[in-house]
Amino acid sequence: MPLRRFFALTSVAFLVVLAISPAKNALRPYRAFQRKFAALGAVRARSAQQSKQYARRPIAIHQIWLPGLDNRVDRCTTCHLGVADPVMKAAPSPFTLHPWTPHTPGDFERFGCTSCHAGQGPATTEGQAHGTAADAGAPLLPATYIEAGCGRCHAAVRVSNAPQLSQGRAIMERYGCFACHSMRGREAFRSEAPPLASEPVKTGAEWLRRWLKKPRDVDPNATMPNFQLTEREIEELSHYLFGQEVPEELARRVKAAGDEPPGDAANGKRLFAESRCISCHTVEGKGQGSAPELSKIASAASRGWLLAYVRDPHAFNPRTPMPQYHFADSESRDLVAYMEDEFRDFDAPKEILEPLRVNRTLAEAGEKTFRRYGCFSCHGAQGARPAEKFGPDLDGIGDKRAAFLDFGRRTDLPRTLTAWLAAKVASPRSFAKGLKMPSYGLSAEQTRAVVTALLGFGAQAVPEAYRVVPASLPAPIPAGRVGQLVDRYRCLSCHQIGDRGGDISTAPLTFEGSRVQREWLVDYLVLSFSIRPILTERMPIFRMPREEAAELADAIETLFVDPRVPEDPFQGHPSSDADAVEGERLYVGLGCRGCHIVGSGGGYYGPPLNDSAARLKPGWTYAWLKGPQRWRADVRCPDYGLTDRDALRLTAYIATLRQPAAQPKGAK
Amino acid sequence: MKSLRIGILLPLVLSACTRKPAASGQAAVPQPPQSSYELRLGRATFEHYCQTCHGETGGGDGFNAFNLDPRPRDLSDPAFQNKKTDADLKDVIQRGGAGVGLSSLMPPWGKTLSGDQVDQTILYLRTLRKR
Repeated sequence: MPLRRFFALTSVAFLVVLAISPAKNALRPYRAFQRKFAALGAVRARSAQQSKQYARRPIAIHQIWLPGLDNRVDRCTTCHLGVADPVMKAAPSPFTLHPWTPHTPGDFERFGCTSCHAGQGPATTEGQAHGTAADAGAPLLPATYIEAGCGRCHAAVRVSNAPQLSQGRAIMERYGCFACHSMRGREAFRSEAPPLASEPVKTGAEWLRRWLKKPRDVDPNATMPNFQLTEREIEELSHYLFGQEVPEELARRVKAAGDEPPGDAANGKRLFAESRCISCHTVEGKGQGSAPELSKIASAASRGWLLAYVRDPHAFNPRTPMPQYHFADSESRDLVAYMEDEFRDFDAPKEILEPLRVNRTLAEAGEKTFRRYGCFSCHGAQGARPAEKFGPDLDGIGDKRAAFLDFGRRTDLPRTLTAWLAAKVASPRSFAKGLKMPSYGLSAEQTRAVVTALLGFGAQAVPEAYRVVPASLPAPIPAGRVGQLVDRYRCLSCHQIGDRGGDISTAPLTFEGSRVQREWLVDYLVLSFSIRPILTERMPIFRMPREEAAELADAIETLFVDPRVPEDPFQGHPSSDADAVEGERLYVGLGCRGCHIVGSGGGYYGPPLNDSAARLKPGWTYAWLKGPQRWRADVRCPDYGLTDRDALRLTAYIATLRQPAAQPKGAK
Repeated sequence: MKSLRIGILLPLVLSACTRKPAASGQAAVPQPPQSSYELRLGRATFEHYCQTCHGETGGGDGFNAFNLDPRPRDLSDPAFQNKKTDADLKDVIQRGGAGVGLSSLMPPWGKTLSGDQVDQTILYLRTLRKR
C-alpha cells in the first residue's frame, strides 16, 4: 500500500500547511492585547451593561482610513484600544486614554495617528508599527519631539499649543538658518546681518580678531555663530575685510563725522534714556536683547562711524530693524559723546580700534576663506543675493531615513534621525573633519526645540485641506510718503500690522485707527510717554516732526480700522446704559485695578487708564470689553463675559477718566 | 542535601522576586514624556497668564504683585498645595477670587481659558510646590 500511505501522508502534510496561516493569525499579539483590553474594560466599566459591551467586542483589526490625507491607513487602534475611551484614563499601556491635545479626543477620524506620531500605520506588530525594526520607514516620533507633528500642517512660526515647536522655529529665524539652507516656504528669507563694506572705517584689527574668534564672547546677544576659525584663518579674513573698498559716500560720512567737535555727554545720557535704546539693545544685560549689547560699543566702533550710523543706520545696513531717529546734529553728537564716555571696554588694549595694514597675499587668501565658510550667505553685499544656497537643502529633513545619514565619527550615537539631528545641532562639526557648519552654542532646551522644528519639515506638503497657513489680515501698508515713514521709523520692527511685523511691542497697529483718538496719537508720536512704565520695551521718542506725526496719524485713522468697532457704542441703547457711576462700581467689583492704574492705585500689568478720555475711542473700549481675545488672541486681559449693559457702563466710566492735573503729560 | 537545595532555590526565588516587578514595572510605566506635553502646555499657560502676579516660581512675587492688596497667593506653599484639591483650584481659576469669596483682584479665567487649559495649568502648579 505505498500509494495509500503516500496519500495519507500528503493529506496530513496538506492539512498542516493549510493550518499554518490561521494558526499564525490566531497567535498574533494583537489578539492577546484585545482579550486583555476586554478584561480590563469589564473591570473598569461604570455599569453592568457597559461591562458586557467590552466582552462582546469581536476580535478584529481596527483601522482609520483617510482617503483625503495621502490615503493613510492607520491600524494603531488595533492595540491602542483605549485612546478615545474615557474609561481608560491612566490605564496601563497600550490601552490608556490619549492625553488631551487640540485634536484629541475629537479628531481621530480626521487625522488618524501617524500624521502626528509618524510610524507605520498599516503594520500590526509592535516592531513594524513603531519602526523600531532596523531601518523601517518613518519610525515613531519620540515623545520629546512630539510637537514636530504639529509642524507638518501648521506653517506659522508661532503655533498655539506647541510651545516647543514655536521656540524652535523662532530660534531658526533669529539665527538665520535659512540664509544657508533652503526650505520650502522660506525662500524669501534674508539675514539681517550687516553688509561688511564699511568695516575698515568702523572697527579695528584687534576688535575684529576677537569677534571672529568667538562672537558671543564679545557680545552676548550676537547671533553670529562660532566658526571655530584657526588663528591663520582669522588673520586672512581680517586682511580681506580691511582690504575692501569702502563705498565712497559712507567713507565720506564717517570721516566728516569723526572730525566734528565733541558733544555733551550729560545731555547724551538723557537722550539715551529717552530714545529707549534698550527696547532692543542691552546695556550690561539689561534690555530686550534682540540688538547688540552696547556697554562696550565705543571699543568696537570708531566715533565717526557711530555718529554716522546713529544718524542714518539704513545707509549702512538696509535690512537693519533699527529706526532712523530724527536727531539734530548736535543731539547725535551728544549721544555718541555719552557712549564714548561710558560704553567702553576698559580692559581692552589701546590699539583695539587701530586699522590693519593690509597684506595683499593674506587678503586674497582671506577672500577664499570668506567663500569657503559661506560668509556671503548672511553678509551679502547690498542687493546681491547668492544664486545658490550655501548649505544643504533642509526640505523634507523630518522624513530623512537614518540609512541616508552620514554618522561619520559619531559611533556613539543610536542610528536614528532624531539622535543625528540633536548631535548635529549641538555640535555640528563632530561628525567628520572639514565640515563647515558653525556652532551656535544653544542650550539643551533650545537644541531640543530646534530638533523639533526640523522634524516638523516633512518631505511632502500635506493636502490643502489640512494645511494651516496664518491668515493674511487685510491691513495694507500704504506706499508713497506714509510707507516711507513706516519704513524710516521701522514701525514693523516692533509692532504688528496685519500678519507682518515683530513681536517686541504689545500693541498691534492693525486696528489702531479704531482704537485711539487722532489728536492723542499725533501728540504721542511727537512725544511718546510710557504707557506701561513697567515694561523694558517702550516706544522710543523719535523726535518726529509734527507734520510727519500728523501724516501717520491720518493714515492710521483711515486705513487701520475695523468695521466691528462701533462709531458710537451707546447709539440705540437707553441712556441709563451710559451710567458712569454704575460703571465705576463695576470697575471696582470686577477687580480691574488688579492690572490697571486709575489715579495712583492699581496693578502695573495693563495700561494705566488715567488718560482714557483723551486716548481711547469709546467704541473701542466697548468692543474690547465684549471680548478682548477677539482683538489679540493671546492678550492677558480676561474675558469677563460682560453683558452689553455692563460693558457700556464700564465704557462710560472709562471715558470719564482724565489725567490727574498734577502729573504733566510726558512724565515717566 | 536540604541545605543544598535551599542554597539553590533561594537565589532563584530571590532573583525572581527582584526581577519580576522591575520588568513588569517597565512595561506598565504610563510614559511620563506623554504627560510632559500637557505639562509643557500648562507651563506655557502659567507663564503667559499667571506669572505676572504669582511669580516665576509661584511665590506670589510677580512684577505686578507689589502694588496689590491683598498680595497674590504663594502657590508654592506646601500647606496651601496640600489643602487645595485640583477641583478647588479649578474652581478659583475659572470663577475668580470674587466667585469663591476671595479678592476680586484674581480675575475669572473661565471664559478666557478652556477647561483643558485650566487642567494643564493645575498640573504645572503642582510642580511648583516648594520642597
